[in-house]
This record gives sequence, C-alpha cells and structure tokens, in this order.
Amino acid sequence: MTTPAIDLDSLRRGARLAGFDWSDAELEEIRPQVEGALRLLRALEAIPLREDAEPTTLYRTV
Amino acid sequence: MTELARLIATKAVSPVEVVRVHLDRIAALDPGLKAYITVCPERALDVARASEGALMAGQSLGPLHGVPYALKDLYDTAGIRTTGGSRIFAERVPQADATVAHRLGHAGAILLGKLNMVEFAYGPEGLNSHYGHSRNPWDRAAHRMAGGSSSGSGVAVAAGLAPGALGSDTGGSIRIPASLCGITGLKPTYGRVSRSGVLPLAWSMDHVGPMTRSAADCALMLGPMAGYDAADPSTSVLPVPDYAAALNGDIKGLRIGLLRAFFLEGATPEVRSAVEAAAATLAGGGAVVDEVDLAAVMTHAAAASMPIVACEALAYHADLLRTRAAEYDPDIARRLRVGAFVGGMHYLRAQQVRALVRDAVDAALARHDVLLAPSTPIAAPALDAREVSLGDGPADVRSALIRFTRPFNLSGHPACSLPCGFTAAGLPVGLQVVGRPFDEATVLRVADAFQRLTDFHARRPVLG
Repeated sequence: MTTPAIDLDSLRRGARLAGFDWSDAELEEIRPQVEGALRLLRALEAIPLREDAEPTTLYRTV
Repeated sequence: MTELARLIATKAVSPVEVVRVHLDRIAALDPGLKAYITVCPERALDVARASEGALMAGQSLGPLHGVPYALKDLYDTAGIRTTGGSRIFAERVPQADATVAHRLGHAGAILLGKLNMVEFAYGPEGLNSHYGHSRNPWDRAAHRMAGGSSSGSGVAVAAGLAPGALGSDTGGSIRIPASLCGITGLKPTYGRVSRSGVLPLAWSMDHVGPMTRSAADCALMLGPMAGYDAADPSTSVLPVPDYAAALNGDIKGLRIGLLRAFFLEGATPEVRSAVEAAAATLAGGGAVVDEVDLAAVMTHAAAASMPIVACEALAYHADLLRTRAAEYDPDIARRLRVGAFVGGMHYLRAQQVRALVRDAVDAALARHDVLLAPSTPIAAPALDAREVSLGDGPADVRSALIRFTRPFNLSGHPACSLPCGFTAAGLPVGLQVVGRPFDEATVLRVADAFQRLTDFHARRPVLG
C-alpha cells in the first residue's frame, strides 16, 4: 500500500477543522506521523466487514 | 509478596523492618535505575508503624497487611503528587485516592512511592525525558529499554525496590515491561478492575493491573483490587473469585492453544525457542497443547487500534495541547496531534473491526482454556535502537514492542506476561497467557503452574 502524501495546506485545513491552530512548523513536524496514520486508515477501510457488524463502543461487561 | 505477607502475619518480620529495607534499597539503587518519581519515606514508615501496632494488637488489616508496594504515577493518591510522568502535572496533588489505591490500602498494603512511566502512558519503550529514562536492571553495561509505559513498575519489581506494583495497559504497558524486565504482570479483563482515579490514555482500551515477581503475587494483589465500583461504569458486577485458591498447580487436561502464525512466526529465534520450550513444559505438566491460527484478524490490530487510541487520547489532551503544548515531550505532543486527523467514521469503523478481533479470540477460547504467545517479539532493545529484525522482517521498535499485546487490549481478554527464559545475552523473555473474559483465575493458574515447574521468575538481576 503506498503512503498517502499530504501537503501543508491539507494539514492546516485538517487541524483547523478539528479546532487546532498549529503553526506551519508544528504541522511539518507531524507530517510523517499523519502520513503513517493515513496509511493505517486506508488499511482499516480495506478490512472486510459484515454489513451488520456493530461497533463496540465499550467492551462488553457483565 | 506472598511470602512477605506470611512472614508479617506470623510476626516473623515487622512491617517497619520490611518498609525500611525497601526504602534503604531505593536510596541506594534508584538514582541509577530511575524507577521512582516520588518516594514517600515518612508516610510509608508512619503507616508501617500503625500496621505493626495493629498486628501486635491482634488485628488483621487484610491479605496485604504490612506489605509494601508502589504505584505507577498515574494513580491518584490523596496528598501525594500524581504527575502522569509529565512536567505539566508536576505539582498536581489529588484530593482522593484512586479506587484501587484505596482498596489496596484497606487490604493493609503500604505505599512506598510513585513510579516512573512514559509521559501520559503514550509509548511502549519506557522513555521519559522529564524524569529520566528508567534503566533495565538486566544489563548494567548497556543502557536498555525497560519497556513501557509502566517502566518504573517493571524496574522497581525486577530490582527489588518494591515487592509489587501497579501498572496500566492500553496497548501492552503492563505486559511489555514485565516481559523486558523479567517479572510477572497481569492485564485483567476490561471491566474487572476499576479505572476510577487513574489518568486515562484511551478510556476504552485502558486496563489496570498488578506487576509482581510471580503469578501467586499477582493473585494476592488482584483479589482486593477487583470488583464493581460505582465510580467506574465499565466495571462488572460479577463476583470476585478467590484467585489464590485457584493456584493449585494442576493443569492436567487443560487445553492450551499455541499461537504460531503472526505471533511465534513474528518473533526472533531466541524468543520463539523460549516460548516453544514453555509450551512443551506445560504439556509435560499434563496440559494438552495444539496450535491455533488467528493471523487473519491479528494483522488488523494495528489499523483498528490507532484510530481508537489517537482519538481518545486527543479528546483527553485537547485543552492542554492548546494551552501548554510546549511543556509536553515533543515526541508525545506529535503523537497526540495525529488524533486531529482521524474522523468519527474511522473511529467507529475501528470499533467494528474491534468486534471482529474480539469474536475471533472468543471463538479460539471456546475450544481452549488459554492461548499462549510471546509477550514481545524481542528482548530488551538498546535505548537508542530504532529498528529491529523480527522473524518476518524488519520493524520499528515501537511497533514491534506492542505487536503481540495490543490485540488483547482491543479484545479486552485477560492476559498475563511471565518470564519463560533468557537470551544468550542474559535478557529475559516473556510468555503471554491469554484467557476467557473474567477468567483471570485460569490465566494465573497456568502461569503459577509454569512457575512451579521452572525457576525463571526467581532469577534476579545482579545489581551493585
């Protein structure tokens, strides 16, 4: 799976959407980690799931 | 701990004596090992004197009467600072004890101090730039990772600076330092032990549990800790069994599933050999061992775990990241910020995959009483190691360390790490025993049976 590239402008928009006003330097620092995270998100999307698979919002307790 | 509790109960040794010996050892060795962030000598001795007085008056305070222990520094302790391993909380002094700290005190245990950890528990290597990196006691020549995030707990127990400790485990943070430091650590079932008063990393993945020298000691600590707590809505109302009574050494006919694909195949040859030998030892003790293949779902664990931990951790830290970002270790701040780029759809898809992982582990445990795997694919790496070679190729150290533990944080099953051998370089190797939900008793019974058949857990690092 190829690493999704993300440019600085996309990082700025993503951070602002989430409510953070990080500097360009701070965003550049996390670019490799964000690209790694995006790679994992692509892998997550590729995992086959049943249509009726419900999320476990909390692990079942008894 | 079990032996200390017996010696104290029979008045063969005094709690004051025991606490003093540990405080002396901490004073002598901890400057080099950096297991503690805060030591509480006066308080510990005061409690020990009261404990001794009660004992002499014929009162029993509980199963841990007079036995000292220490807490990872993310458990709230009334009047004692709780830093979370962070400079941001350096002066944070809680008003009340975490539920488990209260319960252990009520069972007679005496708190020695608060233990070093990865800042806010976000990392498996055991590094801390604010309070110093805990040093793995098994190699005095090289500086090796203690494993984390409960690094101080692993080092303190291995080096004899506390007979038992509590850690917390979001992706392996009890089992990884237990593996790298050669001790026994138990991550109980999600919901078995209260997390109230424990600083969170990721609420739905966090587990708290004991770290000790043996399975018997884990059983001794787990009993008073476990059980429903109204302050933690995720705790179970199931009754707490007598864990110590379950340790009868009998594993005849017990069905054990050895996880080869993904687990043994992904470990270094030395780790693989030690775990295979451990399985043979258990088979020699009467267990029925066969192989189980969960590779198809285990390969999804990283992709499912990341969005959950990233989102939940950022939710807790968002305000602090806005106002005090410069006070975080830069590496921790970078990791926390990644959560801003994970959306709700991916968070919930990860929770769907989580159900898949849980169901697959449940299915394997319908046919087996416990599953066996390595705890970590490698023994303690050098402090500056960034990449390691595994059975199936190279990997970065961080991913390698959590690879075999993280799936059981997703699934919530109880899992214990115990020493099962040593590498040629003299470093401990950890065996992971995974059980059915709320069946810590069987997990501990298998671990204890192994420790009755071997002496790996009784070996000690040579310290100055």
